[in-house]
Amino acid sequence: MSAKTLRHLIVVGLLVLWELLPRAGLIPELFLPSLSSTLLAGWNEAAEYGHALAVTLYEVAVSMAFACGGGILLGAIVGSLPRPRLLIMPMVSSLYAVPLVILYPVFTVWLGIGSESKIAFASIYGFLPTMLATAAGIQTIDPQLLLAARSMGATLSQRLVRVIIPAAIPTVLSGLRIGGALVIVGVVVSEMLISSAGIGYLISRYRTILDSPHVFAGVLLVLFMAIAFNTAIRWVERKAAIWQTGTRAGQGAADEVGSGTMQPAT
Amino acid sequence: MQATLTIKLARVAIVIATFALWELLSRTGLANPRLLPSASDTLATLGDLLQRSSVRTDLLVTATEVLTAFALAVPMGALIGFLIAENRYFADVAKPLLFFAFSIPKSIFLPMFILVFGVGFAQKVGFGFFSTIFIVIMSTTTAVESVKAEHLTVARSYGATRAQTAFRVYLPSMLPVLLEALRISMIFNLTGVILAEMYASRDGIGHQIATWGENFQMKQLLAGVVMVAAIAMTFNELIRWVETRCSHWRT
Repeated sequence: MSAKTLRHLIVVGLLVLWELLPRAGLIPELFLPSLSSTLLAGWNEAAEYGHALAVTLYEVAVSMAFACGGGILLGAIVGSLPRPRLLIMPMVSSLYAVPLVILYPVFTVWLGIGSESKIAFASIYGFLPTMLATAAGIQTIDPQLLLAARSMGATLSQRLVRVIIPAAIPTVLSGLRIGGALVIVGVVVSEMLISSAGIGYLISRYRTILDSPHVFAGVLLVLFMAIAFNTAIRWVERKAAIWQTGTRAGQGAADEVGSGTMQPAT
Repeated sequence: MQATLTIKLARVAIVIATFALWELLSRTGLANPRLLPSASDTLATLGDLLQRSSVRTDLLVTATEVLTAFALAVPMGALIGFLIAENRYFADVAKPLLFFAFSIPKSIFLPMFILVFGVGFAQKVGFGFFSTIFIVIMSTTTAVESVKAEHLTVARSYGATRAQTAFRVYLPSMLPVLLEALRISMIFNLTGVILAEMYASRDGIGHQIATWGENFQMKQLLAGVVMVAAIAMTFNELIRWVETRCSHWRT
């Protein structure tokens, strides 16, 4: 049996077990409601989930603009100048070790429990990986490309548009993928902790009244959101692969960003 | 040498400048001192908090949870990762699944752990374990793959025993990668446990920080944030220091 069919069998088997085990009573419905009852719960409350999804998506979109815009800008500056790079990079990766969740109470005190505190928290949550990835991407552009462009008399703006940006795109995209996923996590987690709207809030509320099918329906919805985002960015990445002119070091940096050595905890 | 010293001094200067800015913002009233107590006040509060036995108990509780989850997740993850990496068929089957499991956010499964384990010690350890194990598996797989096939062939053709191969070939080539894995999984672990404590708990430092936030006790809240950040960074730097020590084994 080929590895691929076995893998598909495992996935199908897990889904079947998810349906059968709770039905047979081997796992209490409270711990794991069956797949069908979860989907049914989500379907019955579709309007409520849809409304919550709209709130969450709005927060995700705004924080994504902040996190990715700021991350790419600062990453480009830090990556292209050698001095700030030597100075700041070790400090930034040290900051990485701090569990950022503890900042969320500070934001709720400053900004209240509305959308603002979620946006602030999620922006910071997704900012660091985007910035690190961009810095790594800029840093590893093949110097020969720059040399060639300069010797043919390219102006700074030409070098930027024709060489630096295309060469940095693959790494920046993988940074965006991770940063964006973290923004989604940041929004949902902060909604779960303290809030009055959004999917995270729904999950927490149903958890308090021990309504597992509705909790799982919310979890599934967030999962779909994360997977959809991931797939979309991967598609763009494949489309952008023609610009892949970076050095092997650049590819290594992109892989490192992608493989999670630089990914902060969720 | 001169350059590294300058850089180190510049870094210290940045940290000091940050604290000075914080102090200034609060002192001059640009930021409301009730919302942003000055840095000196916060540090003084931090000193007070460390004297309190309740805070020390909280720290102890969190440390126990973190270490238990770590002690469970790392050996188990390393074992699974090793088995997967050593068997090509297993690797083909399991790797995409693991990549997928790794890329989905773990935090949203926290409510499940409360439904199953309640809000006690087991829930924190369970969630810490869950958020750590995937990264350990992934890093171990990478570590095993970093062992060079030529080294293994040489060891085998000179008739090295299994134990000798394990200690003389596998361990030295894997150690730098494994140390980094330890550092990163500790970050994941700590975040998982603290998030679980903030979400629903009766004790632990995360719970304490959440409570201070809900009661608008800004001094205590900021002191708590500084405390946890300092602990996390110290541990991180410690392992990184060991990492640089071991880097001459990197092949």
